[in-house]
Amino acid sequence: MSDPVRLQEADFSQDEEIRALQASSKRMGGIATFLGCARDFSEGREVSEISFDAYGIMALSEMNTLRSEAIEKFGLLDARIVHRIGTVKGGDNIVFIAAGAEHRAPALEACRWMIDELKQRVPIWKKEITPQGDSWVTPHP
Amino acid sequence: MIKVLFFGPVADRVQMRETQVEFTPGMTLHEVIVHLGAQHPSAFGIVSFIAVNQTQVHDKQLVLHDNDEIAFMAKFSGG
Repeated sequence: MSDPVRLQEADFSQDEEIRALQASSKRMGGIATFLGCARDFSEGREVSEISFDAYGIMALSEMNTLRSEAIEKFGLLDARIVHRIGTVKGGDNIVFIAAGAEHRAPALEACRWMIDELKQRVPIWKKEITPQGDSWVTPHP
Repeated sequence: MIKVLFFGPVADRVQMRETQVEFTPGMTLHEVIVHLGAQHPSAFGIVSFIAVNQTQVHDKQLVLHDNDEIAFMAKFSGG
């Protein structure tokens, strides 16, 4: 079974991630997921590709800490975080987060919390490649 | 030696991803910032996070050790 926290260039399968999450416990009554995708339009410009840079070893460590904190804070049964690096095109998957709990409320809250925290704590940077030139993305709230 | 890493927009402005600074006993993170910041003021203007050995640090008076790894990073924009 794949690691529940990963940085990878390849695309991921939401179905496989959810199956792996479900396989961790039969007490799981609610699973919440977040899928972040690449937009092909941003700040009034067409975006042809998005490339990612990451401080890999620290990013992975922070993502693992984030998962552990979420499990503890929300009483989750399990959680998974997968983030792509390299270059993606409009419509491609970027990040997938899944939280599994006995009931829906902690799963939903944990999922929201993990993506918000990931954006603030995980050293990954996104560059939009457009016909007018490239630009690093300013963090969105 | 101290290994210094740059990523994303900071690396673009410094025009390199890695450099080294000679280690001297007792040297602080602040000294490295002053030294490199003078050479790359534009890049250091967007540094929002600093990590030493993959852990974010806030204390610029932190005393460094030989073979430490410092990363200078702009605001994150993953996800």
